[in-house]
Formats: sequence, structure tokens, C-alpha cells
Amino acid sequence: MILCKHCKVYIRDKKTNCPLCGNILADDVNSIKGDDVYPVIPPTYERHLVIRILLFISIVAIVISYIIHKLFPTSVNWPMLVLLGLLSTWLSITDALRKRHNITKSIMWQVMIVSALTIFWDWKIGWKGWSLDYAIPILCIAAMLVMYVTAKVMKLSVVNYIAYFLLGGLFGIVPVLFILLDLVTVDIPSIISVAVSIIFLSAILIFQGDNIKQELQKRMHI
Amino acid sequence: MNYPKRVEWSKLDNASKFFPATSNYRDPKVFRISCELVDEVKPEVLQLALDKTIERFPLYKSVLRRGVFWYYFETSDIRPMVEKETNPVCAPIYRKYEKKLLFRVFYYKKRINIEVFHALSDGTGALWFMKTLVYYYLLIRHKDELADKVPELNYDASLSEKMDDSFSRRYPGWDLKRQMETLFKSKNTAKAYHIRGTRTDEYRVNVIEGAMSVKAALEEAHKYNTTLTVFFSSLLVCSIYEDMPARKKGYPVVLSVPINLRQFFKSETARNFFSTMNISYRLEEGRLELKEVIKSLGESFRRELTEERLNQHLDGLMFIERNPLARVVPLPLKNYSIRIANTIMDMGVTAAISNVGQVTMPLEFSGFIHQFSVIPNVKRPQMTMCTYGDRLVVTFASPFRETEIQKAFFKALSKMGIEVEISSNI
Repeated sequence: MILCKHCKVYIRDKKTNCPLCGNILADDVNSIKGDDVYPVIPPTYERHLVIRILLFISIVAIVISYIIHKLFPTSVNWPMLVLLGLLSTWLSITDALRKRHNITKSIMWQVMIVSALTIFWDWKIGWKGWSLDYAIPILCIAAMLVMYVTAKVMKLSVVNYIAYFLLGGLFGIVPVLFILLDLVTVDIPSIISVAVSIIFLSAILIFQGDNIKQELQKRMHI
Repeated sequence: MNYPKRVEWSKLDNASKFFPATSNYRDPKVFRISCELVDEVKPEVLQLALDKTIERFPLYKSVLRRGVFWYYFETSDIRPMVEKETNPVCAPIYRKYEKKLLFRVFYYKKRINIEVFHALSDGTGALWFMKTLVYYYLLIRHKDELADKVPELNYDASLSEKMDDSFSRRYPGWDLKRQMETLFKSKNTAKAYHIRGTRTDEYRVNVIEGAMSVKAALEEAHKYNTTLTVFFSSLLVCSIYEDMPARKKGYPVVLSVPINLRQFFKSETARNFFSTMNISYRLEEGRLELKEVIKSLGESFRRELTEERLNQHLDGLMFIERNPLARVVPLPLKNYSIRIANTIMDMGVTAAISNVGQVTMPLEFSGFIHQFSVIPNVKRPQMTMCTYGDRLVVTFASPFRETEIQKAFFKALSKMGIEVEISSNI
């Protein structure tokens, strides 16, 4: 061990400077330097470079589209659509990335976010009703199928996905309101969505009822 | 047809509820316990020991999950693996949405380290885990030398005792009048002096540990007729004052001191069971004298460490957790309110000191173990003390680059004639 002459303490590990005062430790012939106690850990470099590049490109794209619009004006305010389109994409992507460790949860949230966005877009570009007619019912059906397939392919255990299956099934029934309140002009997709949901829900309730009960107890305890 | 096993789950105890809400990459709420052996660690043996230890601490197999109203622990079948130390000290363990174990075990040269997310356990609980791990490690590693006299580990709590939520066991139940009284009686915290400094790169933790003879340190403490904890706390207060800029001298120095409640209320839980008290010192006119600081701090310790005060404090904490209004608030909102409360409480604290106490291991092992040490989680400069045999290790962990306080502290000790051995990750 080497004595730091300024602090009057002994330094146990292999150091050239005293960790307390920062002064260089004198090479003492009589004392041997000790071994490392802590490993030297190199700085970890930022790994989200792709995200940063994409974010940068998005901002550049928005700025350029506004400039073009200023130089060559059109009656449609299309740079606004570029901005909203990119915002929607980012909202969806960041959520998916944050929840990437729980795939069924991520799917469920994507359905919610994308549904809300389709209604917003439908309204923004003059209400044609395509969001309720086609987009949301098809999203619900797709979500149930995708969740089922991923759960089987990734061999997830029942407790990991059952709550999201339940949510997905319940969400798929929502289009029944579109029909009852007469919000839709084309009702085939909604009818299919509701039918698939009822079959899906009855299957999980009949075969996994106990698991659902336990899962709910756990997640909802107050 | 395979029958899925029922997944066990448990609620978080009172103190645990606080940590997931307030942990972030700057303050990951992770602490480390190290055991330095005499020989280099053999990873294969350590893995065997870990496999045995984990069976005795079922809670350590849990992952943390988010419910609608509260977090909860869910048992997993992840096998904990021993790794070589490659992460910075006390790097984050818990990440939202990830299902991973809440502790890690690794080794570097002669050291066995465990790092624990604070929601899982407090220092005393984790120390039991560590002692069991080291016990099995040494039993397997030195089985020939220990063959004729297999030592016993003196921790014989049952599995359910280790899993016990001692906070809720202590809770006497509803009494709105009494609880309101304690709630309003608790004085508002005054703004304390805050140590400022340059943040380390990547929010790493700077660790400086000083090892010394406990006998020598105790002798010095006894000169002032006081305990080791009060003595070191006072020395820390003095070191902080030495570094304090003149314009800040009006603020008091407040140390946050965790109290292990197992010594006051019967419990052998390996989960959290601690409370904290704030010990404050304000320099009135005149010079800073260690003797005066010791006198003042000694009185504060005596005043705070009564069963009545501890009960009041516990009661208040449980009241916040158990009242129906707080319970029905969804988890994300709860997290925000806990973070705000935490920021307010932090304004009243300068630094923290924690005496983990004497680590006892079977006597047969004394030739194999060099020392135990604890690195606290750091929001602000914090200090821990840990004793094994005659070796007392004082560890300073700080999020800042500056080492003035540590220097003043250890210099003061060596001036008293105590020989200090420093090791550090700087």
C-alpha cells in the first residue's frame, strides 16, 4: 500500500493519483502497489443512433415541406398533413418501443392509439366515415388474430397475455355501438368484428376463466 | 395437456411502494453489498452457492409488475446467473415494462458483490441474503478444510418469516383522530443545506471506501463518551461544514439516518423494514467544535430513537398508504404524487449516513473473509458503515466528482491516529 503524503491515508488499489486529493502518489520503493478493487469500466456509448437520425430526418422533412409550400402555394395545406403524419407515426413508434418487452400489451396499445388516430385523420380531412366503417373494426379483428398467433408462436404463458386477450375481446365489441347508433354506412366489418369478439371472449372465459379471475385480482388489488 | 402452475404474487410493503415510483436513471435506488474474500472468487462455485441461496429466499425470484392501482411482485422462474463485474457501480436494475430479477450477483477478483433494487429489500435483509450466499460459497469452496466442523449459519427464520410484511403486521388499524393528530403534529421540514457539485459522466457513482480498525475508531468515540454512529455522523457534519461556502452557513446540515426496525419490533423479514429519521445541526455563533456537534447529535439520536416516536412515524406512513382515497387513485397518478412528495422531502436533507452494523459469520470462516462493505444508493452524498471482525469499512458514495468532504473526513480520522486504507473506483 502506498501512503498519500498529503492526506496521510494508505491507498489500497493500483492508482497513480490519490482518489481523495488527486495528487500524484510518490513511487515508494518499500511499498508495493495493490491490486484493483474495482474494474475500470469504459463509458457506454449511446446506442439509440437510429432513432436520433430518424428524428432529425423528420424535423428536416417538416421544415422543407413548409418552405416548399411557401414558395409554391397550393390550396391544400399539405405541410400540416406531413407534420401530423409524422407526429402520429412517432406516437405509435415510441409507444411500441417502450413496451417492446411485453408484446401483447404493445399490440393492445397500438390498437387504441391507431384507432384514435384514424378517427382524428378521418375528421381532419373531411368526415367520410371510413374510420368507423372499415378501419376500427378491421383493426380489432386483426389485433385478436395477431395476439393469438404471437402468443402461440412465442409460447407465452397464459398469465402473460390473458388480460390483454380480454381487453382485446372487449374492445372488439365496441363496433356494435357504431351499428346501434347508426354511425356507419357499411356495417359488414363491424358485424364481423363483433362476432369474432364474442367467439373469442367466450373461448377465453370458458377455457381460462380461473386464470382471468386470478389475473384480475392481482392487477386490480387496491 | 399441460397444467399451468399458479403464479404466486404478493403486495409490496409500505417502504417498497416508494422506490419504483422514484427510481430513475440518475437515482436508480440500487445499493450494493460486497464481501471481500482472501482468495480470488471462483465463478462456478459462486453459481452453485447462488442456486442454493435463492431457494431459501423465494422473494428474490420475483419480478416487479404494474397493476392498475399498485405495483406487485410476481414469482418468476428466471435463474439468477453470476456474472463478472462489467457494469458501473449501482447501475439501474428495474426498468419499466421489463420482467427481470430485482438483484444481480457478480464478482471481481476477490470480491463477491450483490446489487439489489431497494423495493425488494433493505440493507439488513439483503445482508442476510449475502451472508447465506457467502456461507454456501465458502462451504463448497473449502469443503476439505471445513469437513470435520461444518459451521452453522445463525439465521433460521422460516420462509414465511422472511416474506413477512412487517409494516402491515405492526399497523394498529384505523383511528382517524389519532392519525390526524400525528399528521398535523409532525413539523414542517426546513430547507437544509444542499451539497452542490459537478455531476459525474453518465451519472456514475463515485465510491471511496476507507477501511480501519473498529477498535481504534471505538476508542476515539469513547473519548467523547458516545457511540460510533453518533461519532461518525458528527465527523461527517463537520466535514460538510468545512466544505460549505460562507453564504450558505445559515442553512442547517441535516443527515437522514435509516433505522433498522427489526431491533425495535420483533421481525426477521428479509424484505424492507426500516424507517428514517432526520438529524439536524445548525452552527450558531462561534467556531465549529467536534465536541459540541457530538453533544447536539447525541441528544437528537436519543430523542428520535424512542419506541413512541418510531410508532408515530410508522403510523403516519401506514395512514398515507391505507387511506381509501389514496388507494383508488390509478398507479400513474400515484407515482406523480409520490415523486412530488419525494422532492419536497429531499429539500430537507443534506446527506445520509447509515450504520449497517456488525456482520457476524461463523468463526470458522474468519480465515477466508477479509471484509464486508455496503455502497448506498445515491441521490446525494451518502455514507455507510459496515463492520466485520475488527475491520470497519466506511463507504462514501457520491454523484459528484468533488471529493472535498471525503478528504476532510478521512484526513480528520488519520489525524486522530487511526490508520485508514482507501480504495476507490475513481
